[in-house]
Amino acid sequence: MHPPDTQAHCFAEDSPGFGNGSLIDENSGKGTVALETITLTINDKVINCPSGISILQAARREGIKIPTLCDHPALESVGACRLCLVEDKGGRLMASCVTPASEGQVLKTDSPRVLAHRKNIVRLLLAEHPESCLVCNKGNRCDLRAIAASLGIGETNLYPMPHARTMEQANPFLVRDLTKCVLCGKCIRADHELVVVGAIDYNRRGFLSRPETVHERPLEESTCAFCGTCVSICPTGALSVKNAHFVGTPEKEKSSVCGFCGVGCSLVLGSAAGRIVEVNPADEPSTVNGPTLCLRGHFAHDYLHSENRLTTPRVRKNGELEDISWNDAVSRVAERLLEIREKHGPQSIGFLGSSKCTNEENYLFQKMARAVFRTNNLDTSGMAPARAVLEEIKGLKRGRRSTAPLKDLEKTDLLFVMGVDPSHSSPVLAYHLKRASRKGIPLVVVDPREIELARFATCRLQVRPATDALLLNGIAALLREGVNGRRYGDGTTSLRGFAEHEKQLASLDLNEVCRLSGVGEEALERTAKLLRGKRPIFVVGRGVFHQKACRDTMKALSNLSLLTGDTGSGRSWLYAPTYENNEAGAWDMGVSPDTLPGGKPLGAKAFRSHWERAWDVMLSPDPGLNVIRMIREAEKGNLKALYVMGENPVRALPQPEYVTRALENLEFLVVQDILDNETSRVADVILPGAAFSEKMGSFTNMEGRIQRFEAAVPPPGQSKPDLEIINLLLKEMGQASLGGSVDKLRKEIAKLIPEYGDLPSSAGEAWVREAESEGTDPQEEPLFFPIPELKSPEHDDAFPFTVILRSFRAHLGSGTRTSRSERVEEKGWRGEVEMSARDCESLGIRDGDRIRVVSPHGAVEREVKIETGLSSGLVVVPRAFGDNDAMNLFPFKERKESNFTGWITCPARVERRAR
Amino acid sequence: MKAREVDRGRLNAIIQESRGEKWGLIPLLQKVQEEFGYVPPVAIEPIAEAFNLFPSQVQGVITFYAGFSLEPKGKYVVRVCRGTACHVRGSRSILRLMRKELGLEEGQTSEDYQFTLETVACLGACFLAPTMMVNQTYFGKLSPAKVTSVLDQYRKA
Repeated sequence: MHPPDTQAHCFAEDSPGFGNGSLIDENSGKGTVALETITLTINDKVINCPSGISILQAARREGIKIPTLCDHPALESVGACRLCLVEDKGGRLMASCVTPASEGQVLKTDSPRVLAHRKNIVRLLLAEHPESCLVCNKGNRCDLRAIAASLGIGETNLYPMPHARTMEQANPFLVRDLTKCVLCGKCIRADHELVVVGAIDYNRRGFLSRPETVHERPLEESTCAFCGTCVSICPTGALSVKNAHFVGTPEKEKSSVCGFCGVGCSLVLGSAAGRIVEVNPADEPSTVNGPTLCLRGHFAHDYLHSENRLTTPRVRKNGELEDISWNDAVSRVAERLLEIREKHGPQSIGFLGSSKCTNEENYLFQKMARAVFRTNNLDTSGMAPARAVLEEIKGLKRGRRSTAPLKDLEKTDLLFVMGVDPSHSSPVLAYHLKRASRKGIPLVVVDPREIELARFATCRLQVRPATDALLLNGIAALLREGVNGRRYGDGTTSLRGFAEHEKQLASLDLNEVCRLSGVGEEALERTAKLLRGKRPIFVVGRGVFHQKACRDTMKALSNLSLLTGDTGSGRSWLYAPTYENNEAGAWDMGVSPDTLPGGKPLGAKAFRSHWERAWDVMLSPDPGLNVIRMIREAEKGNLKALYVMGENPVRALPQPEYVTRALENLEFLVVQDILDNETSRVADVILPGAAFSEKMGSFTNMEGRIQRFEAAVPPPGQSKPDLEIINLLLKEMGQASLGGSVDKLRKEIAKLIPEYGDLPSSAGEAWVREAESEGTDPQEEPLFFPIPELKSPEHDDAFPFTVILRSFRAHLGSGTRTSRSERVEEKGWRGEVEMSARDCESLGIRDGDRIRVVSPHGAVEREVKIETGLSSGLVVVPRAFGDNDAMNLFPFKERKESNFTGWITCPARVERRAR
Repeated sequence: MKAREVDRGRLNAIIQESRGEKWGLIPLLQKVQEEFGYVPPVAIEPIAEAFNLFPSQVQGVITFYAGFSLEPKGKYVVRVCRGTACHVRGSRSILRLMRKELGLEEGQTSEDYQFTLETVACLGACFLAPTMMVNQTYFGKLSPAKVTSVLDQYRKA
């Protein structure tokens, strides 16, 4: 608590000392170093525990409860509240959270002296606390109140000394009423140790002391990211969730999994009267998020009760959508789809599964498409998931583990992060990376922008867009110089393609690499020096996978990783974050035009016949259309019908107007979704589905963790869980036996997809199993890829700038759901376009001016924000704002087409609008 | 007259000298305070950056210690001792006189940023009671006449 102690966190060489984090890693359950077992006595009970843990931890292991306000298993103990006092044989009182358990101690946790002191401490806390329990948001869930009650404290009989502070509630997310603060410091430690933002710290001292932002500004003017971790962890009513109107306190709580990004955080959904009124982290040590969440997870789930929810089936009659009964809707869909198949053949129908729907739903959805309609026109509208790209490049997997827990990021010797801004796209991944960096793990950050994570980087490489592969090859060339005669890791030199690669590296013109990539030679050398002798883990995101040249970049990354000696076996060398909650699962379930469930190639007869036997049908060997081609064929009139489940292609894909036109051109469009959106507005039939909180199922997160969950509330109105809808449809088509309950499908999935073998058996979560064939496939042996020639990036004088798309923490994907969150909307973020000071000056643009960013394919109009860390020539446009109009800038093209620009950067010019 | 503008160049130079130094935060804050008479709030962020700390942590340290101030002080900081020994020897009258002479309450700074009046619990020079300090200089065995003459000396300077 003493301020100078804070310095301990900034020097890596400082041991964090005794505490939860250092000796015992309770979170992992693994990696515990049992130094030796010691024996002590607590409340006359003789207990054994490993040495190095605190008395409080030892007591907890035995189920002995000691009250505390300031302790949390995931936080460093500080002994702030003093409630956890215990008395030893000699009558000494000590705070059990910061006193190590030691051999032979004889302790009492509730001796008369302990109780007397504990009561006094609580009385003193209450004397400084307002008597507003009746109207407090925390109400019956307040730890202080519970402890006071358990100690029998009603009146304090002390002179009240409330510490009145103004209540802060200008932001739509949380209310800060520091009058109720007990100075436990949990919010501060959570902010520093878990989410590593540092927006608040103790300020002033004594009675005046309170957690405060720098310059004592309101939270919204500080670096606070509104992750809400402090709200969930606060033991009193000092921090609480803000609701625009009264929603009541939760009557029931149910565990669930977050429906936003690919991290898949464990949640507890609190509901009252059939509505989700509160979202908190599940706060279990084994979960991916522990006690943390992010802005979206904590605060944006209010979209679940948006007035835009679809609650009745609807059908288009004479151009207008009208309510219709479920029976009529289902029979209409079945009838029309079968009719179109009869008339135009299986290739005329497309199916868009969902990266937001459950594994069971996606599995049944693709089964319906493949087994009933005999088509492989299956995709999601998430463009090119990383997994699909990785599967394309043979030799890239090299024994890669299919499961890669984020916790392992904090245990490696170097982290190399490229093309991902996790603080916005997947915040909990960012927490892991920042924590790793604070622990002293070197961090290399490669990104054209100055992302938040870059501040934690040991080496920061601000690479020019589309030159990543070059840069990586440059680093590889510098690795050749070696250190102490040792140049590469073990086994590297005997790999396929090594000699050619070595030769190519030797002839690489490093000056040219620096010139083209915009990275200085010195920075390049520093990075190479940092990499030498280490085995980095690469964290690579959309910034790479959505590039035009993503294959070159991935190959260069693989080469670099092999040079460091990481030749495969055991841990994963590559983490590719998924951006939607079940992007990984949808792909694993076979919602893909050219892969079967389990990610097996459709083209291979052996895999096809596996599924033909299982489903007792013949499968079409022809690869289906991906989402881009489906839309294009629809526009041409070749695709006649499209069934969209839980996706919004109009908003997510490039050229929304073109996509709308294409969809309008369909004979029949079915949209099964939860929200009224751009796609459902052009549908012929709307089937109202259920959100994750209203159904049971499982999601697979970016780690390969399969998480099961159950409904917390019923679906609103007449809407139904998506699985039930598909089952109704199958029944209507006389194929009921293909479908079934969630349990039946789980068993089927487990039986037929070996990687999902643990799906039905485990109670809470399972992990994707290591596939047996991986690593033994001769095509998957590690090899060096040839380096492509150095090429200057194309330049068009009419479009001198480069647009980069970025994510923003309040929105996910195209923002269909998050823009329906009342809180996010109320905050009123405007999604400004960012430009460098130099470019703004030369164009006469001032901060806040309206500008038009024009690409060869479209334009967006936005206010401009001058960003000091940005290189000149770049224009950063955030996704999801303004109906995701950023997608106007991109051509409607796919990877294999000429003039494909990728989905992350494009050329543009900038025009200033009248002031 | 206004408080001195913060010389950013000088501030950065001081910060760079201590960049990354282990346990260097408090010594650096002392140096900054010595140079500017207070720790200018604009110094918080660059100092945090230099030590790889969060700005909120640096502010926490500054506001914890009475010795650091985030507000500009007068050219001369007068600290009247209100310890027991000085109290017995009449420091209350000394303080009252000081208030009247400077036209300031405790903790206040004159508009021309010449004087700041503060009290301290003990200056550790009880044998000189009643005592006070002006910046780094001690004045002991104070009497009303001596107080006036000391102040005159600084007013002229």
